Amino acid sequence: MAAITLQGVTKRYGNVTAVQALDLAIREGEFMVLLGPSGCGKTTTLNMIAGLEEISDGTLLFDAKDVTRLPPHKREVAMVFQSYALYPNKTVAENIAFPLRLRGVPKAEIDRAVASVAEQLELTPLLQRRPNQLSGGQRQRVALGRAIVRQPSVFLMDEPLSNLDATLRLSMRSLIKRLHHQLKATFVYVTHDQAEALTLADRIAVMQGGIVQQLDTPEGIYERPANTFVASFLGSPQINLLRAGLPRPAWVAEGRDVIVGLRPEDVARPTEGLTALSGRVELVSPLGSETQLELALPGASITLRVPKDWRVTEGETLAFGIDPARLHVFDAATERRIAP
Amino acid sequence: MGLRLSYDDRSAAVLVFPVLAVLLVVAAYPILYSFWVSLHDIVLTRPLRRPFVWFENYERMLGDARFHTAVLRTTVYTVVTVSVVSVLAVGVALLLNETFPGHKLLNALLLLPWATPSIVNGLMWKWIYDPTYGLMNAVLVKLGLIESYRAWLGDPDLTLLLISNAAIWKQMPLAALLLLVTMKAIPDDLYRAAKVDGATVFQRFVHVTLPALRPGLMLVLVYETMISIRHFDLFLIMTQGGPGDASYTLSWLIYVETFRSLRFGTGAALSYLLAMLTFLLSWLFIRFLGEKTA
Repeated sequence: MAAITLQGVTKRYGNVTAVQALDLAIREGEFMVLLGPSGCGKTTTLNMIAGLEEISDGTLLFDAKDVTRLPPHKREVAMVFQSYALYPNKTVAENIAFPLRLRGVPKAEIDRAVASVAEQLELTPLLQRRPNQLSGGQRQRVALGRAIVRQPSVFLMDEPLSNLDATLRLSMRSLIKRLHHQLKATFVYVTHDQAEALTLADRIAVMQGGIVQQLDTPEGIYERPANTFVASFLGSPQINLLRAGLPRPAWVAEGRDVIVGLRPEDVARPTEGLTALSGRVELVSPLGSETQLELALPGASITLRVPKDWRVTEGETLAFGIDPARLHVFDAATERRIAP
Repeated sequence: MGLRLSYDDRSAAVLVFPVLAVLLVVAAYPILYSFWVSLHDIVLTRPLRRPFVWFENYERMLGDARFHTAVLRTTVYTVVTVSVVSVLAVGVALLLNETFPGHKLLNALLLLPWATPSIVNGLMWKWIYDPTYGLMNAVLVKLGLIESYRAWLGDPDLTLLLISNAAIWKQMPLAALLLLVTMKAIPDDLYRAAKVDGATVFQRFVHVTLPALRPGLMLVLVYETMISIRHFDLFLIMTQGGPGDASYTLSWLIYVETFRSLRFGTGAALSYLLAMLTFLLSWLFIRFLGEKTA
């Protein structure tokens, strides 16, 4: 186990700064997710932790040890790639055994370790196959096996589930979560998928433009987004962000230019204590358990998610209520969250 | 039911016919005719006498001492050329796979020898090796490695290697290019995974690069072997089989038998033996090297 500390870590490619003075303290045994759109610097950050990219500036510590200039194999990290990166000419068993073989572990011990990992990941019947004879999910399990076999203190995962179909992604997600519980190692997981981030993470670092926009627990990120970027990156459908058209909470100073955010699900039937609003229903999209609505308010258009028993029809005028306490308020100029 | 062709089949047949006809005339007919020739005792100095002798030509050639020498020389030449070309090509491909200032220029320059016509290449190396004004003599004397000019190609122990060197110079670029293409297709993630797994540069080469190069290497081996085993131009230009029989290869023997001695029957028989040898070798390569790539 190891805590990972990034102090002012910067990555420059010529004139382009991919990661800018990043400070991030990942706790021992923590599941940290780096979340962001492509090009936000999350994979570069992961590669710098792995040692696959040189750090242009700043310091990287594993516990108290400075590893900034150490090559990958001296950092005792394991990595899982989106492309699985299995050695195509090696069998499943050989793939899993490879890191141990390179370390000169005795053969009997390797065999024992491979057998135990295969058992854990349900790969035993596949040990003699080659990667091209496996399905995507099986390949990713082999990649996980190759990572856990040498019991590293740090696991790095670069979008490991992005190449899998939706069903498989769900089951692999729980597998990774179980592995984290069992191994108690530090996990750093890169993804652009908010659902993965929210379900897996102890804490999430939302990144954009090479900068961490917010570092918090999944609840914190969702409930108290630090700025409009974080607010709109998490949540599906996206949060409604409007300069006008939504009621301003009473504590917002009169005349201050703000953006008001409303999560589509934060609506209720109009009752006492809620701010009553109404709008014309433009579009109804049933989603099974819920219904997604597009609503035209005076001067704005918003998306709502309501229980299916509301039985809304297109063209009707819908009256609903919102809790002012559930509204998110951002400064219009800085786009940063402001709170009472 | 008679033969009923669909419209597509018929138009396909019409479109394929011209090529098929050309192939029949320029490929199939000569192949069959030369086999027919190889079964006759045809000597051009006695054009009217051409008895059918079954496989006597083959028998005679297989027992001929010149044939044995030629097989030995061809083997040495092919083994040296193919192995040096393959090893060098892997090295050059590795070099060109790296990004460094001027690597594009080097890429283009690399193809120059390959684009040089065979005859020009042969003449150029013959000049380099020349006993009176050759560059090789000049350089070696200047470096103090030899005391006086030598007739390099006249040394029976060196002749084959020197010709091989000229062939390597010309053939290596294409092989390197083929391997470079294969190398470029290796996913970067494999190298990154190997790095994290703890592989050294050499281990990454052995465990990632070499296995991935296998199909490319096989192509290079088969292609270079087929070229080398039948190689003729350099021998014609540089040594004409000499000195003595030091560069007396199979294709040179075929040339001598056919066009100097005008014995077309035995010449054709030799050609068939060479063709069969080429097939056999290619089959062996594919059988034993191609196996694991599937």
